[in-house]
Amino acid sequence: MKDIVLTGRRQKKELWYLLGSFVIANLFNLGAILYYGSPMTEMFTSFFYVLLFTLFIYALTLIPRLLYNMLKKKAHTEVKN
Amino acid sequence: MKETNLGRREFLKTLGVAGAGILAATSPWLSAFSEVNHTARDRCRIGIIGPGSRGQFLMGFLAQNPKADIVAIADIYQPSIDGALKIAPKAKVYKDYRRLLADPEVDGVIVATPLNTHYGIVMDAFDAGKHVYCEKTIGYTMEECFNMYNRHMSSGKLFFTGQQRLFDPRYIKVMDLVHRGTFGKISAVDAYWNRNGDWRREVPDPSLEKFINWRLYGDSSRGLMSELGCHQLQIGTWALGKLPDRVMGHGGITFWKDGREVHDNVHCIYGYDTGESLTYGSVISNKFYGLEEKIMGNLGTVEPESGKYYFEEVAPAPAFLQMVNSWENALFEEIPFAGTSWAPETANVNKGEFILGERPKTDGTSLLVDAFVEAVITGKQPERIAEEGYYASLLCLWGHKAIETGQMLVFPEEYKIDYAPYGTKKINPATDSPA
Ligand SMILES: NC(=O)c1ccc[n+]([C@@H]2O[C@H](COP(=O)([O-])OP(=O)(O)OC[C@H]3O[C@@H](n4cnc5c(N)ncnc54)[C@H](O)[C@@H]3O)[C@@H](O)[C@H]2O)c1
Repeated sequence: MKDIVLTGRRQKKELWYLLGSFVIANLFNLGAILYYGSPMTEMFTSFFYVLLFTLFIYALTLIPRLLYNMLKKKAHTEVKN
Repeated sequence: MKETNLGRREFLKTLGVAGAGILAATSPWLSAFSEVNHTARDRCRIGIIGPGSRGQFLMGFLAQNPKADIVAIADIYQPSIDGALKIAPKAKVYKDYRRLLADPEVDGVIVATPLNTHYGIVMDAFDAGKHVYCEKTIGYTMEECFNMYNRHMSSGKLFFTGQQRLFDPRYIKVMDLVHRGTFGKISAVDAYWNRNGDWRREVPDPSLEKFINWRLYGDSSRGLMSELGCHQLQIGTWALGKLPDRVMGHGGITFWKDGREVHDNVHCIYGYDTGESLTYGSVISNKFYGLEEKIMGNLGTVEPESGKYYFEEVAPAPAFLQMVNSWENALFEEIPFAGTSWAPETANVNKGEFILGERPKTDGTSLLVDAFVEAVITGKQPERIAEEGYYASLLCLWGHKAIETGQMLVFPEEYKIDYAPYGTKKINPATDSPA
């Protein structure tokens, strides 16, 4: 089995993606609170849902990035051949 | 039935009040406990007439009360006497209740005999100068109830009836909320008590059938109306704060065709001149919906038996879930309550609130017995307790009559008593002419 190596740079990058997802999830929550006229306290009380949504967005960012990396890798090997 | 003996202190704590005074408007009979500290060293002597199933259940609470001595029992059935002596081994035993009533060592009696025997025993007890706790329904006819109430008034002796919900913390608290308008205008109370069972007791000898299964026969019982309905109709009038003025009903023997004479399925509608309705139904061949009194206001519903209330307006689901739901609906083009959505339908289901913040622990019987003991010691009749019992009995007997006659009946003016909370006044035949 091949070891997966996560470089320090990669880890940092993923954390930034996660943070970005968290900020977006909170913006969605804020938008929903304003739209539905709910109390602002839901910024805290809906934290669990926001966290779930964060993971969802993060997962969404993973798919194009994985695809992009795969294609990039393929193109690289074709050029090499 | 097993019941927790909720102490008086815990009782008041459960109600969330420092003293019973706060609830005086809704449940003034709680004043029975107002001298509880002064009477700490006092005792009273109680006699039990008819220590059968219910009588022994009540004796269990008396036996735990340090202020009460069960000094005598009277019964005509040896197994009941044997059972009672296990709870009160020192009690004197009488086969004839009149001898117990003649016993000067008895201050008050609990009457827990079959319905048709209450009248004679209770009237004799008042005449003998005893305080009386009579199980519900107090009389077999409306006239009997009326005479019993009047004898209580003229004798000056205490009269308690077996309406334990008057002392049930759930009911006390919720009636306070109901009367303060928390649930808005109450338009209807829908009460029902459903069971799936034949309501029979085992009979050691066929000759004892009518004696043991007295509930099932017309000359000793009014069936489901007197045995179950009496409790729940009282809740209706307590919540609505007035007496209905007409009733219609229907009943039949549809399932338990085993020689019984009383209906196994009854329904009554009690109507108010102001439009409200109080309905009562009981079926003993289906227990799915069990037992409840639904008190329905425009702002909320109370279900005291399950100890809960529900407001009409449910707090909306968190905005985030509403948003997800709207996406989901847009995606699947479904209406919110038809879908299999994981979000708001589950989030905003109306689960209600527990009246006492927890599951119900007691049905009030132990406190009712304690209140009787306190009252026998002080000699003070708690306000409204006899009147609530009186009208509860009248309502169930009146409903029974409507079922029997198949007619819509109007409340008989001649049985009204002076009772301000329901706005009723006794008719004086000499001076008042019925309208
Ligand atoms: N408040 C409640 O929730 C509640 C519950 C159950 C019963 N009850 C009431 O309690 C009463 C008794 O019901 P029960 O289930 O205990 O019935 P039961 O048949 O178990 O007991 C009745 C007892 O009375 C005795 N008895 C009959 N005639 C008598 C007489 N002339 N003198 C002395 N004793 C006599 C019987 O021998 C028996 O021991 C009824 O009025 C019933 O409606 C009230």
